[in-house]
Amino acid sequence: MKKFFQKMALLALAGGIAISAQATTPDEDLAAFQSFFKNRFPDVTMEEYTNGVYSIDPIGRENWEAIEEFPPYEPFIDEGQAMWDTPFANGKTYKDCYPDGPAIKGKFPHWDKQQGKVITLPLALNQCREANGEKPLKYKKGPINDILSYIAYESRGQVTNIVIPDDDPKALAAYEAGKKFYYTRRGQLNFSCANCHLQNAGMKIRSDILSPALGHTTHFPVYRSKWGTVGTLHRRFTGCNKQVRAKPFKAHGDQYRNLEYFLTYMSNGLPLNGPGARK
Amino acid sequence: MQIKRMIKVLSAALLMSVCLSTQAQEAAPAADPNIARAQGMIADADKARKKAASVEGEWRDTGKMLKQAKAALKKGDHVKAMKLAAKAHKQGVLGQQQAMDQKALRMPSYLKY
Repeated sequence: MKKFFQKMALLALAGGIAISAQATTPDEDLAAFQSFFKNRFPDVTMEEYTNGVYSIDPIGRENWEAIEEFPPYEPFIDEGQAMWDTPFANGKTYKDCYPDGPAIKGKFPHWDKQQGKVITLPLALNQCREANGEKPLKYKKGPINDILSYIAYESRGQVTNIVIPDDDPKALAAYEAGKKFYYTRRGQLNFSCANCHLQNAGMKIRSDILSPALGHTTHFPVYRSKWGTVGTLHRRFTGCNKQVRAKPFKAHGDQYRNLEYFLTYMSNGLPLNGPGARK
Repeated sequence: MQIKRMIKVLSAALLMSVCLSTQAQEAAPAADPNIARAQGMIADADKARKKAASVEGEWRDTGKMLKQAKAALKKGDHVKAMKLAAKAHKQGVLGQQQAMDQKALRMPSYLKY
């Protein structure tokens, strides 16, 4: 345990150098973010990053490929399809909310000018449920993962293309808030998201290899062997914050929705390949 | 002879009154100042935690420590309660300081623009 903390402290020190933020545009951020990985792992193609840590960990990849032969998330996709097709008590279905569904994952997260906030897919699904007199689903565990798995599966191959509209300065503010969250150190261990998944991507933390941030959003929801089930992106955010000993924020609250907006923008151009399987 | 007897009676009465007053003191002990001190420390630590939370800097275990401190105090273990409250207070102060130090976004130097 002591060694773990020593390692964390060293990593924290290594990440100590920071420069004050100049005003940068989202496009400039994207270019810097993606070129960082191109330089860090020159042999890894952009599309490979959608496979998370398995794009840079050949041994883990072998195990993962074996797992993918009988994907553990398949039953969740089937359950999700049943949910999608089953009418609500008022006779309507999700399809009434999203006529071009179920392959709608590529449209999320997006800025909603009317609501004045980032709308994520789970939030949109719950808004649909509530508009039809149904109870909202819990955001981290349970049935939300079924329907998200189905939608993600149907959306495979769509390309991440997050847009920050020019006509509403609040959209850029939400992106900037997400970016600020990403680079802010927090918790007792004083780590930012970037410390692990950007600066130290590919390095070992105990027996695990830190996954690259690029492509983090393409494969959610994921079946994690650690969880023994499928979980949402915001469940993972919660876990990451807890690992650095910060108090996590509410799933699909402002902080994590803005973070998802920024982080997904950083993966612009990468295809969606959820649901995924991870260690 | 009479004087000797009187002295004996008086000293016995004096001794009895001393004993009785001691017993009375034992029956109604003064409130333990440590309990009030522990309560104050817990309240201060909770204030520090809330301040950290208000700037999104609360740490994971601070709330848990405060709960444990309150439980310890309930059981009469004010030493443990004070220890936990002091720890929680420190976490609250540091969490707030950490967030304030990073009020402005600082981009890492390893990202090349």
